[in-house]
Amino acid sequence: MSEEKVEYAKPLPDFRPETKPFWDGTKEHKLLLPKCKETGKVFFYPRAISPFPNSTNMDFDWVESSGKGKVWTYSVHYMGPTKAYKGETYVVAMIELDDGVKMMSNVVDCDPESVTIGMEVEVVFEDATDEVTFAKFKPVQ
Amino acid sequence: MGTQIPNIEDTRELLKKNQIGIIGVGETEQGKIPGKSSFHFLSEASKIAIEDAGLNKSDVDGIITAFSLVEETFMHCTTFADYIGINPKYFESVAIGGATAVWMTAAAAMAINSGQAEVVLCVRGDNTLSGISSTGMIALIREMCHGEFEYPFGLTTPGGYALMAQRYLHESKGTREHLASVAVTMRQHAQLKENAMNKDDLTMDDVMGARLLASPLTKFDCSIISDGGAAFIVTTAAKAKELGLKRDPIYLHGMGQGFSHQYLTSCEDLDQIYGAIQKSGDKAFKTAGMTNQDVDITFLYDCFTITTLLELEGLGIVPKGHAGAAALEGRLHKDADIPLNTNGGLLSQAHLGAMHHVVEAVLQLRGEAGERQVKDPNVALVHGNGGIVSAHSTILLGNEPLS
Repeated sequence: MSEEKVEYAKPLPDFRPETKPFWDGTKEHKLLLPKCKETGKVFFYPRAISPFPNSTNMDFDWVESSGKGKVWTYSVHYMGPTKAYKGETYVVAMIELDDGVKMMSNVVDCDPESVTIGMEVEVVFEDATDEVTFAKFKPVQ
Repeated sequence: MGTQIPNIEDTRELLKKNQIGIIGVGETEQGKIPGKSSFHFLSEASKIAIEDAGLNKSDVDGIITAFSLVEETFMHCTTFADYIGINPKYFESVAIGGATAVWMTAAAAMAINSGQAEVVLCVRGDNTLSGISSTGMIALIREMCHGEFEYPFGLTTPGGYALMAQRYLHESKGTREHLASVAVTMRQHAQLKENAMNKDDLTMDDVMGARLLASPLTKFDCSIISDGGAAFIVTTAAKAKELGLKRDPIYLHGMGQGFSHQYLTSCEDLDQIYGAIQKSGDKAFKTAGMTNQDVDITFLYDCFTITTLLELEGLGIVPKGHAGAAALEGRLHKDADIPLNTNGGLLSQAHLGAMHHVVEAVLQLRGEAGERQVKDPNVALVHGNGGIVSAHSTILLGNEPLS
């Protein structure tokens, strides 16, 4: 009998083709941010067109983030959106990256109730499936 | 002569000239009501509003509906027009989440101002509590956030508001009591509203002692899910007179929208949210030629306790960072200086977007709110919020025509 793999039961991202470089990056444990070639600024979430005022640029570089940032806000979730979260307490947070963008993620590797606004965090990668790796954050020791 | 770009002054002139207002309102029973479809509630609410106005069904020549969370339809407004047996000259489905009901009033006014219709039925109804499946509920939660960059982290709808609540408490040095007091005041109001779903006594201890769902929010900080319908009918004073209706309309004095973000990831800071709320209010006030000092009774979207605090501050009714304290001091009670959601709101009466807020504003301005009646209000502000404090709409209603 071959080794049984536990199937990932939580929600997986609804991919749009234009975000492929981001997910290719996390698979290699790199946090890549799209950088608008017209304004020279990074942004998040990845999309097909620059979100900056006066830019209709659709051409981007993908730059590696330092992966460091601070918790801008958080909420300890005692109930998740699907059955797969049953009995779990976890932290959903908005992380303000040093690169100047915000992203939503989980703060892991700590007591959920110890998380605070302003806490310094750094990226950790969690391989969920063969295809999907999530960028999550843990407190800086 | 050069042409001029249309502006708010033109809207003001049109509202003044046409004296547009709400002539009939209707609410069905609210709560857990199995055995009635979404279209049943739409029909029942329409019937009550048509009868309240003293109209014949055939007088209605415009239909504005929203959407159903249970029975999805591609063309909601015309599906209902067919169902109820009205052939409208104007039809529109407004689908901006919780900002919908308030904007229906504005959309009806714009249709009337441009000669598209004269008597517009605005109606929403749904069997959300009895009819939605667990997969439907999950789909709804997913819809409220970014399916690729937010939802996979387990964000729930209360969780989205909890993120903003946590930040708000941090910046305002507020406490959970500030949030809890909003829920308690809404419950006190619901106890006076005939068709309110949740009327059991609710104390501060009940809320503070409840289990957290998503910190800092408990279930009492979250709006209820209910079945039911509500409707209102918009027309002009002249048309009401021509039809020989028994009363004058409650007049629309101004309207405005403001947008912050769709996804929390795109929200820079709380000021972005305040700015969007303020924008929706400013446009309404400018159209009406009023300020927030002229408002006698306020209806704010209370999908979560935190929402009302952000709105009170965004609209400038309470200075930034002070809404929580105002709530805790009891200032949102119907007998206090900022009477808020005298119907009990989405937190305790029923959740049908802001439909009930519009209906209650009309009842209050008519002086027909019974035990809930605030003393002689002349101007009401009604605000709706869609998404996660994303999209905002505000209207001002008055019992005198705009002058």
